[in-house]
Amino acid sequence: MAGTIVADTIQDGAGNSTAMDNAIYGSAKAYVNYNGTGTPAINGSYNVSSVTRSGTGIYIVNFTNAMSDAKYAVAITGGCYLSVLGGFLGEYTTSSTTPNQRSTTSVGMFFQSGTSGAGQDNCTASLVVYR
Amino acid sequence: MQVIIHANSNGGVSVTVPTGELPINEVLVKDCPAGAIIVDDSVLPQGADAQFFDAWELSGSTVTVNFEKAKAIKLAQFNANAVAEAQKRQLNTLAAIDNAVSDADFTASLVAGRTAIASATTTAQLVAI
Repeated sequence: MAGTIVADTIQDGAGNSTAMDNAIYGSAKAYVNYNGTGTPAINGSYNVSSVTRSGTGIYIVNFTNAMSDAKYAVAITGGCYLSVLGGFLGEYTTSSTTPNQRSTTSVGMFFQSGTSGAGQDNCTASLVVYR
Repeated sequence: MQVIIHANSNGGVSVTVPTGELPINEVLVKDCPAGAIIVDDSVLPQGADAQFFDAWELSGSTVTVNFEKAKAIKLAQFNANAVAEAQKRQLNTLAAIDNAVSDADFTASLVAGRTAIASATTTAQLVAI
């Protein structure tokens, strides 16, 4: 049965409580973990419908359910290729491949080699979104 | 595994992989532009050709590797590696010169550094290959 509970705080059986804001804004609104070398292989996700590889080291993460606005925070990590160190990993904001990378429905990720400055695929790419 | 492909604005190919939260037909409509198609990933370039993703081109439902683009990518990679290797050896040479304790040591550092920097492209070529 669908419904809505309206409350300012939530409390467990031991009496520990927290403001409802912590539950709402402290929960990740989306995450994805994938191997981005070659065709992306998805390891796990929540509220992510797909990952698009648009160029070497460039990925677009598409949300299953849209965010309320584009003012969300994004955390991005990469788990392999040491040459990424000294390079860059973060949000892809250039519009040369696909415009409007940050929107309510998708956000871009970019991994750049510290050696060549070119895009570099990452074998354990992760993204988490908070809003 | 089924994926969705479409030509992107760079003249390359974008590959969309569903996470499984939605059926691929819904992902096709929701996440991809008009004209995108569903294919089996086995039709995508494999092996060494897969390394040159930025040189992929889409014609109909066939993805091929543009070898002129692939060569340019490899050359750019080689040049970047060569510059990085030369810079690293230049710094090593400067450190050796700074640490020279005699005129002979100073001269030897210069000679060794010149040789090392000159051969940097050889090492970079090996890295690029």
